[in-house]
This record gives sequence, structure tokens and C-alpha cells, in this order.
Amino acid sequence: MKYVVCLVISAFVVPLAAAEGGDASPLTAPQPVQRLLSKYCYDCHSGQKSEADVRLDTFASLDAKVRLDLLNKLQEQIHFSQMPPQDEKQPDPAERKLLADWVRSELVKSNAPLIEDKLRYPDYGNSVDHHKLFSGEIKDAPFTPARRWLVSPQIFMGRIIDIFRLKGEAHSRYTNLYGITNPFVLPDRSGIRDYAITPLDGGHLLVMLNNAQWLSHKQIRSARVKNGDFKADFFENRADRFSPPTPAAFEAIILNDSQPLDDALKAAIQAQFGMVLQRPADDAELAKYLELTRSAIDVVGNTEGLRQMLVAVLLDSEFLYRLEFGDGPEDADGRRMLSPREASYAIAYALGDWGPDPLLVKAAAEGRLNSRDDYRREVSRLLDEQNYFKGQIDPVINDSTVVSHPKIIRFFREFFGYPNALKVFKDSARSGGYYQNPGRGSSATPGSLIREADRVVAMHLSHDKNVFENLLTSDQFFMYHNVDNEKGSKIIAGWREVYETLKETDWRNNPEKVFAEHQESLKKHNIDLGKGPHSNGLPRVMEHFTYTFGKGNTPFTTFPWAHGNNFRYSQSYNLPVTPGVNGRYGDDDNLDYQVIQPFQIANRKGILTHPAWLIAHSSNFHTDPVRRGRWIQEKLLAGRVPDVPITVDAKVPEDPHMTFRERVESVTGPVNAMCWKCHQHMNPLGYPFEFYDDFGRYRTEEPLENPENLITRASRKNESETYKTRTVNTDGVLKGTGDSKLDGPVTDAIVMIDRLAKSDRVRQSIIRHAFRFYLGRNEMLSDSQTLIAADKAYVESGGSFKAVIVSLLTSDSFMYRKSR
Amino acid sequence: MKSRRDFLKTTAWGTGAAILSSRLPNAFADADQGKPPMRFIFMHKGNGLFPSVMVPPSLSKEEMAKEARKEAFEVDLAKHDLPPWMSVLNDHKQHMTILQGLSGKMCTNGHHSWQSCLGVYAANERLSSIKWATVDFELAKLFPSPLEHIELACFPIDGGNARGNIHGIEKGFSARGPQQPNYAFGSPKVAINELFKSVSSDKADRIRYELERKVLEFTSSKQSSLSRHLAGLELAKVKNYAEAMEDIRQRNNKLESMGDVIGKNVPKLDSKYFADDLSTIDCQIGHTQILLSTLISGMTNVVTFTVDELGTLYTGVPGLESEKINLHDVGHGKGAGKLKAEEVRENIRTCHMSLIDTIVRKLKSVPEGNGTMFDNTMLFYFPDNGETHHGTGIEWPYLVLSGRNARLNIAGRYVRLPYWGHDGHKTIGNWFTTILNAYGNPIKHYGDLDLGLNKFKMDQTGPIRQFMA
Repeated sequence: MKYVVCLVISAFVVPLAAAEGGDASPLTAPQPVQRLLSKYCYDCHSGQKSEADVRLDTFASLDAKVRLDLLNKLQEQIHFSQMPPQDEKQPDPAERKLLADWVRSELVKSNAPLIEDKLRYPDYGNSVDHHKLFSGEIKDAPFTPARRWLVSPQIFMGRIIDIFRLKGEAHSRYTNLYGITNPFVLPDRSGIRDYAITPLDGGHLLVMLNNAQWLSHKQIRSARVKNGDFKADFFENRADRFSPPTPAAFEAIILNDSQPLDDALKAAIQAQFGMVLQRPADDAELAKYLELTRSAIDVVGNTEGLRQMLVAVLLDSEFLYRLEFGDGPEDADGRRMLSPREASYAIAYALGDWGPDPLLVKAAAEGRLNSRDDYRREVSRLLDEQNYFKGQIDPVINDSTVVSHPKIIRFFREFFGYPNALKVFKDSARSGGYYQNPGRGSSATPGSLIREADRVVAMHLSHDKNVFENLLTSDQFFMYHNVDNEKGSKIIAGWREVYETLKETDWRNNPEKVFAEHQESLKKHNIDLGKGPHSNGLPRVMEHFTYTFGKGNTPFTTFPWAHGNNFRYSQSYNLPVTPGVNGRYGDDDNLDYQVIQPFQIANRKGILTHPAWLIAHSSNFHTDPVRRGRWIQEKLLAGRVPDVPITVDAKVPEDPHMTFRERVESVTGPVNAMCWKCHQHMNPLGYPFEFYDDFGRYRTEEPLENPENLITRASRKNESETYKTRTVNTDGVLKGTGDSKLDGPVTDAIVMIDRLAKSDRVRQSIIRHAFRFYLGRNEMLSDSQTLIAADKAYVESGGSFKAVIVSLLTSDSFMYRKSR
Repeated sequence: MKSRRDFLKTTAWGTGAAILSSRLPNAFADADQGKPPMRFIFMHKGNGLFPSVMVPPSLSKEEMAKEARKEAFEVDLAKHDLPPWMSVLNDHKQHMTILQGLSGKMCTNGHHSWQSCLGVYAANERLSSIKWATVDFELAKLFPSPLEHIELACFPIDGGNARGNIHGIEKGFSARGPQQPNYAFGSPKVAINELFKSVSSDKADRIRYELERKVLEFTSSKQSSLSRHLAGLELAKVKNYAEAMEDIRQRNNKLESMGDVIGKNVPKLDSKYFADDLSTIDCQIGHTQILLSTLISGMTNVVTFTVDELGTLYTGVPGLESEKINLHDVGHGKGAGKLKAEEVRENIRTCHMSLIDTIVRKLKSVPEGNGTMFDNTMLFYFPDNGETHHGTGIEWPYLVLSGRNARLNIAGRYVRLPYWGHDGHKTIGNWFTTILNAYGNPIKHYGDLDLGLNKFKMDQTGPIRQFMA
């Protein structure tokens, strides 16, 4: 019998320190609880041979915090019915409740975190029973707990830029400001990243102290120039020449030679509240800030005194949170609808990184944001609006791709997790040198692959039909494609004409003469006689055409020597090498570039076979069947896999004769019952992807990369070494779709993906993740009606993701708040 | 940077506890209460540091041959001469370590390495490249102090990583955490104004300080009031921020309560060190005095000091006073005045050694416990970008000075570790892991791995065992 955190009865009369270092107090389990512990737990967790290294007979000597940790774990085990093991005698529901209530009461006494708090974390997203959620049996009125939600890194920059009220071009130009450090960073995990659970802390404050100083100086800079404090061309730091206008209310104080009147100060305070907190100060706030400003001005004068007030408002935590408390009377279920102002921000931030647009502000002000229809009208309008939210998908990772609704693409980025390809550094030489790791100013090969995965997502979103199924199964991909189909076709037609016209001329030996004879046509295609590293000199161009058109292939629409051309990773898709890379042409340079894209690529089907996803779910040197399988289990099958127990040091053993799959199996397979308990839910789902290597390349043979198996050593830098190989085994088992026709053995990833795409559970699992993305939290059982409606909206609309968004953003879960 | 396992092992409540903790983490704070804390000085330079110049000239023929072949060996420095440019440190030989053979190919190399040299990852000018707190900040967590950490710098005004203002407070080489660069003081003037404002006798400075206090008190009070009627996670969302403000206020109070000590240790610098057009050498000298003052007064236990960067336009170099030396040009072999590039480099390094001598002598003169403050100090001198002007990271020479209470077994030796790719080779990740482990952070490995080493199937994680005391 194994009950990891059951406690020895005799150990239960021990002092227990309060959670935050308070006085110790005795912890006593009541007799009924002691009897349960004895009955179900004690056998395995006492003495030298305690299971899972949990020695409960030493409980009394444990540090108070460790004891609390055990109580936390005990609560978790009870909540999820993880212990006792299924093959052991189980407590009945009443016994389980008795134990749960007692543990909870002890944790409450110690002000320790409770399971309810833990369930708000992303790791626990799938802890709510999937069947119950979608069965329709739950009729509870949905709501979201009243909350503060920390702004995302993107919204933070939006708010900063809004302080300066920049309009038009300037609005988007300053996505980075010299003196601003973004205090926020979203976690790297694959899955929804922005949850309303993160508190501000000391680290944020330290960053904000610097930010506030810089911002306040910039806010008053122009007025100080007018005041003659310094000249307009004077900058303390010549690298920081940002000089925004100073608001009139501030300028009036700075240019005033005498003490400003209260009205002037109040106007300045209201101006700062409006720009920073995006609301007016109430009377109490006005009085307090007035006192602060007045006293500061008394000491240091108008300009510096005013600046102290600006700093104080900038340091308010409200600047960094989205406030969603609800307003008005409670309904029969104890819920309050978001106030119109709160709703305008909730809708705007759900769809983009900027606050509400003028029409949304107007709707809120005019009382037209009070019903589901009002929400639907505004959400639909903003989904059709092509410019307001336009921006980079993720400026944080230096992505220049601009789309109308970056946040929608961001959902799929987070859901699939393919941007994590940027974080997995590779030994470039193992790829034969084509794979370039991210470096200064460039996200290199993984960055390009991520953008190409984005394009696949954007394409299916633009069609907005069967979006999930197409994302999983479409064999249409983009590669390079830096100009659209029409422009690319024109370029290639022009180049082909040049090649056909000149191929029989003496361009190699007498380029000047050939150029003079065909000058007009060549200039049209930017071909000259230059010899610089990036010049389109005639001999170089014709040689390139000879190795492309001359071999019956189409060249890529950008010459390989063009400045900044990093499109040289066709091998990622198992396509031939791009001709002319590094000025080199050879027998294998046979890429036949597809001008018209998307196009079909062999042995690939959907995002899960895209190199970006495969790299993101690999390690530095190997594939990662465990991680890939876990992704399927958690993201598509709504399953839950516990974290690696801290007593386990997970390592794949070296063995020169085994494939990586065999090495993984040797420690996590059925031979190791303890590991297999969890790995059975991951490995069989990850093994089918073994026919893609850790660079995302399709393969049937796996090189056994060990010095013992070396066949040829690299003769130059960035050349890969060759090793003996073994045939890869891609057999796996699909289990957990809830459909007996889909579950069962699979021969490879593509077979498995086809079955997954047909599963209702997979579709509903994606809906659950969309819910988390747009609501910033895990679903609760009470969200059942919201999820069912969103699923129905998707199905009835023929697979429209926009329909899912509208459904979620007009749901009770989105519109109502409830205080605990 | 800790692994999840390390975190869980050392944090009783796991995630649940983290949400209730607002203070900056001191998860591994030194358990030896009552003992003086250790102090760490990270002094780094630009333009690379040639391994060849680190070699004691008195090595035997056999040792020189090993050195030339980059084979592992070590010798007792007491029996050898230091390279001439280091000779000013002769009196400190028993505390010195010349450490060769470390590599850092996982870092950004070339001209600049940004946070790479202290964080052991490929950092660049994008803040998103900062993966975790740099090693100096990790050490600062182990030995908490009112100011936690101080970074001083001689900024380049031109070149590849120009800050644009040598007197400003600008992004430095250290990082507090992911995407969180640290800010360094660019001149003695700005450093002294900011660091010693609480004991300033200047009226304007006092007023400024009082105003800052007042604003913080105001905002702290406002944030605290928000936490009423909240519980659990929602409470943490405002309480943490309010407590962090309170922490800063308490830190300021503590600094004020240390006013006498700080006041006694305010650097007494000639006005030339506060001039706007001070020379690079004067900037270094001024910073050195500030570094000493902050350590001796107890304001901090960790100082990181950028003595120069590749873009630093050197002025005031002895013998070349009239020259404005462009380090980048020197890196490409251009001399200055009558000196060849190699000689300019040597002159500059000699100046650096003079700074180190000043620091060590001063700390040796400050009584502490049953010895001196230097007993509880480690100073690291190293290049920010590897072995040469366009560093590749294949070597990363270090000069270390450590007091007798340092927990590493390295003092008094010239140590050459096995070269890159050879059995027993160590990276700067191993080196920092050694230091962190020695002082109480049990991290398994600090820093990214060198992917190029993988093909040798060597374990590149963990500390350098022979250095552990």
C-alpha cells in the first residue's frame, strides 16, 4: 500500500510553526483521522523502507515548512484520488472527505496555500474532469473570480506608449523605448502562458523604479525646454533622443514662476491618472496626491515637485494590473457583471495589446456595454477591424511579422509551443552547417521556421473553416516565400527570360560585351557588372541561373548573395540544398523552389510535423519522445501527467548500440514499473514522431552518434560526421480519445494525427485551451456551459475559430465576476 | 538559476509558497550566522585577455612545453616570477591564482559578450537574451546586504555597445534575472551621488533623498491599503508589491542607521575624479575607491566592475597621456604613440593590476574578526569576451585573488586545466558552479552547456572537484 504523504499517527502530536514563521503550535490529528491514516497509509511510509523516500515516522523532527509541504501534498493526493494506489483498498467518499476536511483545516490555520490556489496554476489545467465538463450535467452559472490580472509584456509596452499619447506612425514606431525595461516575462512553457495568477514582486518594483524615473523625466522634457532649463538639442544621453510633447496641464505648472493653484495641480494629477491609470482620480485620491504634490513643490519647486507626483502615480500597482471586479448589484448567483469600463478593457485586451479603441470607449461611456448582445457587437466589430490591433506577433522575441490580430496567432503559438524552437540550441555541425542558432540581431533558422509555422496558422485562420482539423492534418506548407505568389512569379519569369536570352552568349568570358548588348533588359532586373559581395554581377547571376534553370529547377526569388539572405535551410523540410549558399554550387544543390505557396511537402502533415514544432519539442542533441508524447496527452487528449517526482533524476543512459527510443525505453518502459506508471501516458504517443530527428528532418534511419560508431569524421568546420545507423521504430499506441474506433496501435505520427483530428475530445481539448487563453485562468466545473457553447459554436460554424472567440467573449464566464 | 528539482528540494512549499513571498529570494542565504560575509569583486575588461600573457616566465622548459601544448599542469606561484605586468601583485602571490584552460563557447563571443561572461549563455543587446541572473547576483543572494549588489563601469561612448553617456546609469553586464539587466554607474560622480546620498552633506542631495523617501512612503502606504479584505492569491498580488516597497524603505532606513559607518567611509576623492571630462584611468581609480567604500561600509558584498569595454576610448594611460586610445584599433594591431599594440595592451593591464593592488592592500588593512577583510574576499579579473579581440571562447583566462577564508582550494597556484575537448576540460559554467557550490548554492550546474563538447561524450556539468576546499 502506497500513500505518499500519509502521516504516522504517533507523529501527529507535534509543534507546527505558523506558515510565515509564526509561533509553533501543536498539531493533533483527531482520533477518526488517526484511524484512517493507520488504515490506509501507515504500512508504506514508516521505517527505513518508506516508499518514495517519504519517512513519516520522522515527521515530528521535520522543519515546520516541510511538514506543511507534506500536508499540501496530502491534500493534493486526496483531491485527485491518486493515493492509495488503485490496486489497494480505497477509502470511501465519507472517509476521504473526513481526511480532506482535516488537512484543509490545518492548512487554513497555518495560512498555507490550499489546493484551490494550486488549481489555478497551468499545471492543473486538465485537473477538471473532461467528461463532466462537456456532459451537460453541470448547470451552474459560470463566472470568473473577481481579480487583478498582471498585464502581459505586450500590454505593458502598449500602456507605456499610451502614456505619451502617440498617434499614427509614432504609435507603432516606439515599440521599444530606450529607458524602458519590460518588467514582465512570460514563462517559456508550451501551453497558455499568461494567467491571472502572477503577483507583482520586488523584482518588478526594482525595474519600475527605474522606468518611472525615465518616464517622468520624458513627460516633462519638452516643457523644460520651453522653460529654458536646457536647449532642445541637449540630451543627457545622445543615444536617447526621445522627446515627446508635455501635456498642457504639466506645462502650465512648469512654466509658472509662482506657486501653482490647487486647480492647476488637480488638473495635472487628473492628467497623469488619465494617461497612466486610464481613469480619473476619485476625490480621496485627488486630495492625497494634491497634498503630496504641494509638499514636494514647497521643497523643490514646481518642476521637480510635479515630477514626484508623476513618479508616484507611475509606481501604482494599478498601472501593472488589469482590474476586473464587477460592478452593480449581485444577481441570484452572487455574480456581478463587469462594469462597462472594465468590460471595454477586458474585450480590448482579449483581442490585442492596446486598450479599448475610441468606439469601444464610446460604447462603454454611453451605456452600450451592458448585455451579451453589446459584447457580441463589439467583439465582432473588433475581429473585423484590420488596423487597430495590427502589430508584431511577439515583439518580445524580436519578431517582425505584422498581422491584423497578432493575439489570435499568439494563441496558437502558445498552444502548439513551436516558438520554443528558439530556446533549443543545436550543434550546427550536426546539421551539416545549415542550421544556424539564434544570435545577435537574428533569430536565425528557428526564427524563420517559426515564422513559416505562423504562416500556416494564419492561412487556416484566414479561411476560418475546420481550423483545428486543418492545422493538424494539412499537408500545405510555406518555405522561404519572402514575396507573394504574384510578385514571385514575375521575378522568376523575368529571370528565366534573361537566362534563355543569354545562355548561349559568351557571358562567362566577355560579360562586359554581353552586358552592353542587353543593358536595358538586365537593368530592369537589377543585374549589373558589379563585383562586390552583394552585387548582382552578370557572370555571378548567369552562373546561378545555370545551376538552377539550367538543371530544370526554379531558383529562389532572392539571390543567395543578397544582403541578409538567411534562407538556406531547405534541408529542414528534407528538400534539396539551396543552390549558391556560401557561393558554392555542387551536385546536391537541386532545390526546385516553389514560387506558388503553400505547397505540399512529403512526409509532413500539420503543425505537429512542422520542423519548428519538432525542434521545440526536442533536446539539444536528441528527439524527445517523452516531451512530444506529453504534449499530445495534455494538449490534445486533455490528460494530466504528474511532474517528475523530485526523487527521480531523469537521465537517458548512453549506449552505443541502442536507438534513442530504446535508450528511453530502457529506463522508462514497462521494465521499470515505477516510471512506466506515468510514462505509459506519454511514451507511446511520442514514439510515432521518431521518424523526425531533432532538427525536424524526416528519417527512416537513426545515426547512432557515439564515437564507437563513427564512420567518417568531419573534414571541415560545419560538416557533419557520419555514424552507423539503425532503422527507426515509429510504432505507438493512441489511447485516451474516448472513442474506441480511434484508440489503438498506430504505425507512425501521420496515422496518429489523422485519428486525433477526428476526435471530439481533441477538439474539445483545444477549446479548453482557448478558454484559458482568453479568460486567463483554468476552467472550473462551473464553466461547463461556457465550454459547451464554445464547442457548439465551432461545430455549427463549420470549424470557425472566430466563432469560438465570440462565444467565449460573450459567455457568462467572461462577463461575470464573483467575489470569494 | 536553479533546476526545478533543486528548487523543490530547497523550497518547502513549492509553488504555493512562492506566491506568498514578496522579498527578493535569499533561498540559500549563508547559514554561518555571526561570521563576516564573503565579498566578491568581479573585475572584467574588454578586448580579450591573451592566455600567453598570463604565463609565469620562470616556468621550466618542460612546463613551457606543456603550456605551449595546452596540457594540464599546475605550479606553485611562490616558486615563480609573475609576468612583468602583474609584478605589482608580487606581495599577494600566496593569495593569487592564475587560472587557464577554461572555455566559454556557449557565450556570445567576438567583440562583446553582454551578460554572457557572467551568466554563461549567449546574451546580446536584446533583453530577451538574458536567460537568468548572472553569477554575481546569485552570490549576492547568498550574502545579503542592504544594496544587494553594485555595478560600476567605464562605459564606452562609441563602438559596438555604446551607452551614449559615460556619466549615466546604464545597462551593465550583470542581470538580476531573466530579461532583467542590471544598471551600472558610469562614473565616480554619478556613483557617489546615488550610493552615498543618504549621508550627503550637500543640501540639494539631502532634499532629493528626502523627496524620494517621501514618494516611496506615499506609494507604499497606498499599496498597503489595497490589500485589506483580500486573501490568498489575490492578497499576494498587492501585498507583495507593497512589501517590496516596504523592503526598500527598510533598506534605506538600514543605510541611514549605518550612517556613521558609511559617513566614515565615503570616498575622499579629489575633485578631478568628479569632472565631466575625467580620463579613463581616473574613472577607474575613482570607481576603485567607491568599490572599497561600499564593501568596507557593508553597503554591499558584491561589486562588479567593468574596467573597460572594447568601445572605451582610453585616456590618461601612463606614458600615453596625450593619446585617446581606441581599444578596437588596438585589438586590430594598431599601436598608440610610440607603442605597439601589444605594448599598449600591457600598459593598460598594468594599470588594472595597480587597481587590484590598491583593493587588496586596502582590504588587508581593514581588521575583521580575527583577521582582515581581505580574508573574506574573492576578486576575479577576467576578459568579458574570451581570449582575444575577436574571442571565440575557446579559452577564458582568469586571475583570482582570494583571502584565507575563501572556500576554494586554489590560492598560490598557476593552474592550467585540460584544453577544450580533452578529458577533464572545464568551462566557465563549471567554474561558476564551483564558486556557487562552495558558498552554499547547491546548483548542479550553472550556465548553458557547450554543445560542441557533446561529441566527446564528456560530462560537462558540475563543479571543478579539485578546487573544492
